[in-house]
Amino acid sequence: MLALIKIEWLKIKKYPAFWWMLGIVALTYPGINLMFYRIFLQITTRKDMTGAVAKSLLGNPFAFPETWHSVGYFSSFFVMIPAILVIMIITNEYQYKTHRQNVIDGWSKEQFITSKILDVAIITIVASIMYLLTAAGYGFTVQDDNKANWMEEIKYIPLFLLQTFAQLTIAFLLGFLIKKAFIALGIFIFYFLIIENIATGLLKNVVKTSVGRFLPLEISDKLIPVPKFLGKIDEASYKQNLAEVNEHIVYTILLTAGIWWLCYFVYRKRDL
Amino acid sequence: MESVLSLNAISKSYGKIKALNNVSYNVPKGSVFGILGPNGSGKTTMLGIVLNALQADSGSFSWFGMPGSPATRKRIGSLLETPNFYHYLSAVDNLKITQAISQRGNEEDIHKALEIVKLTERKNTRFSTYSLGMKQRLAIGAALLGNPEVIVFDEPTNGLDPVGILEIRELIKELAQQGKTIIMASHLLDEVEKVCTHVAIMKRGTLLTAGAVDEVLSNEDIVEIGAANMDKMVEIFTNYTGVTHIKKQESNNTIQLFLKLGEANLEAVNKHCFDNGIVLNHLVLKKKSLETKFFELTNN
Repeated sequence: MLALIKIEWLKIKKYPAFWWMLGIVALTYPGINLMFYRIFLQITTRKDMTGAVAKSLLGNPFAFPETWHSVGYFSSFFVMIPAILVIMIITNEYQYKTHRQNVIDGWSKEQFITSKILDVAIITIVASIMYLLTAAGYGFTVQDDNKANWMEEIKYIPLFLLQTFAQLTIAFLLGFLIKKAFIALGIFIFYFLIIENIATGLLKNVVKTSVGRFLPLEISDKLIPVPKFLGKIDEASYKQNLAEVNEHIVYTILLTAGIWWLCYFVYRKRDL
Repeated sequence: MESVLSLNAISKSYGKIKALNNVSYNVPKGSVFGILGPNGSGKTTMLGIVLNALQADSGSFSWFGMPGSPATRKRIGSLLETPNFYHYLSAVDNLKITQAISQRGNEEDIHKALEIVKLTERKNTRFSTYSLGMKQRLAIGAALLGNPEVIVFDEPTNGLDPVGILEIRELIKELAQQGKTIIMASHLLDEVEKVCTHVAIMKRGTLLTAGAVDEVLSNEDIVEIGAANMDKMVEIFTNYTGVTHIKKQESNNTIQLFLKLGEANLEAVNKHCFDNGIVLNHLVLKKKSLETKFFELTNN
């Protein structure tokens, strides 16, 4: 396993897109959260009564411990940035025919897929470290006296890891099956931004069914529900979402494991 | 003789097209084994199968007496079809990956391999900036990395300039002298004839013949004779003992007599002509060239 990680690191460390991804994530994760933090500040610092009421009702979503939840939720909007990298990494192997050369040189086909799981894991960890630094950064810097409770809600760290890994796995599957970078990227972004949101909305509001939560990305989206302060808008569904998290951990693991199993299965049968 | 690679009734189809049809042969240890065939004859498909990049529909193969596996592939340096490298990495970084996967050689061997293929000066520049010939050289370097006992070259001189072709030919001869087994697919007859000890000829997925070059080529003696009256020459040799067939070469007023191997006797041929009133101006025993044999086999 360590040998595979070393080889994948040789491939990634000089890949410019990897460092671009890291740079963009380093800007967008704090950036999107700063945007929401400023909105929050605008509401709560109003001189009239609404500001005070809002502050007492909402609490500070960027202070400990809620920062783990809020920052995780907003940062996950940008999973498509690491997803682009994941798709590039697998489609590059096809374009350069190195997926074939790796096997010719002495890897088994299973080792090739395992090496790709490790790539997705490495990228997930990098994105999660960015999330962790952003969330902790807000937690320590926003004005709030209570820093002792920073440990509460750190369950969102493993949840963010799982969610990111699951969603990047779906991106990988598209790249793996479609083989062409631009088509796979187009489908992923179109599906991520438009199709699934429309489908979820239609199923929930028009068809009045909850099956929308079983759509591929929605399964893991449900791991980090809307933050507490936004949950005030519809408290009943916020509570329901929180209650469903454990269930969705199981679904997410099953779906992700199923996708990787499919990749192993297809690759074993496929001519390279 | 001990076999490095044995193929047993390998078949492979792409839809209705039969890319390989029941192909079997052995590659003896220490041989330079040339696989010849026109484009689309199944050479690369066959090498792809024995290197586990492609799956055969039926049949089996073994390397070193064992079924093909990652462990056997690590003992083989391979260039299959095209140079396959990470475009954004340098030659050195690409070979580090080859080295780490194949576990052949070390850091020093990487530099040695680059030196052999004359890429030392450009070893730290990106692969994407290389010319076609340089890419091919790097692929050859990767196959040589860590001194493997078997080397598979699929069209090794693709994209090389005449000097490069000569260098690779010399390199193959040198490797053969070191006792390495080299399996080389090519459509360049000249290339195969100059370096190979064994040859397999393929056409449309079927193996036409395989064996030592001498055996494959010299199953016949050819005597080429010339005289003023060509028709008369043909006439007097039509029923001559040992002649299997006669070929007229109008362009230079000669005919070729094909005789069973070892039955050509130039003195007897000369005397036969003289006795029949023909004075020869040309008499030579010819070895059949690979080119002749190849066209003979593939044009049927």
